[in-house]
Amino acid sequence: MTPDLGPAHAIIRRGLVLTILGILGVGVVMVLAVQFTPVEARQGLAQKIFYIHVPSATVTLWIAMPLTGLASGLYLWLHDLRFDRFAAVSAEVAAVFCLAVLTTGPIWAKPIWGTWWTWDGRLTLTLFLFFLLLGYHTLRAALRDPVERGRFSAVISIMGVVLVPFIHLSVYLWRGLHPQPIIMKPSAPSLPPEMLRTLLTGIGVFILMYVGMVTLRYGIQLVRDAQEAADAA
Amino acid sequence: MPPDNGQYLVAAYVVAGTIYLSYAISLIVQARRLKK
Repeated sequence: MTPDLGPAHAIIRRGLVLTILGILGVGVVMVLAVQFTPVEARQGLAQKIFYIHVPSATVTLWIAMPLTGLASGLYLWLHDLRFDRFAAVSAEVAAVFCLAVLTTGPIWAKPIWGTWWTWDGRLTLTLFLFFLLLGYHTLRAALRDPVERGRFSAVISIMGVVLVPFIHLSVYLWRGLHPQPIIMKPSAPSLPPEMLRTLLTGIGVFILMYVGMVTLRYGIQLVRDAQEAADAA
Repeated sequence: MPPDNGQYLVAAYVVAGTIYLSYAISLIVQARRLKK
């Protein structure tokens, strides 16, 4: 029997539109940062890496990982495979964003700190989170039984979420080179209005791109799962 | 005067753009294959 894939294809179309808008938005943010945002006096042009690095990190830590963990928790509670599917998709997109954080960070660090990498608490824990996400996907690829796969991978993704507050607080807990938060802190953001505007635009655009990629990837997985179920029947 | 380090900005934007664009294209290709 051929499954009705109409709703899944509708999700794919929506995801496609949002992803393309997100990618175009990233281009707009780059132009906004380079052309319409002032140059920081001490760091020079390299400081503008901030407008890509920080939104990537914000989406990884405050959107993608919490949603992955929430979906994993709901899967463990309700045993609904849709939550497991969403968690897997969100974790995949989180790994992409985390990779962008881990590559743009060292490129920014080299001219400012004089080194590509330092075993600072925040950098080390972010690298650990990336490895954990790789382990999550490796485990999923190795397990065939969907229930077992969902259960084991949910535990790993919840461990990843537990890392998030440590990554955020690492700059307070251990002395290192990474600067302290300028937005996610109890007091008001310590940025000039023009820089804050570009940063907030960046965060909005990266959230849109995350939503688009997750929607598109979820639709693709939905079609694959339906085809696999039809083949098995 | 700010330091002259624009090459790092270009490198970071190219690397980030490549990562996001590559992933987006891989998703679009997968979606097109499924449609066929």
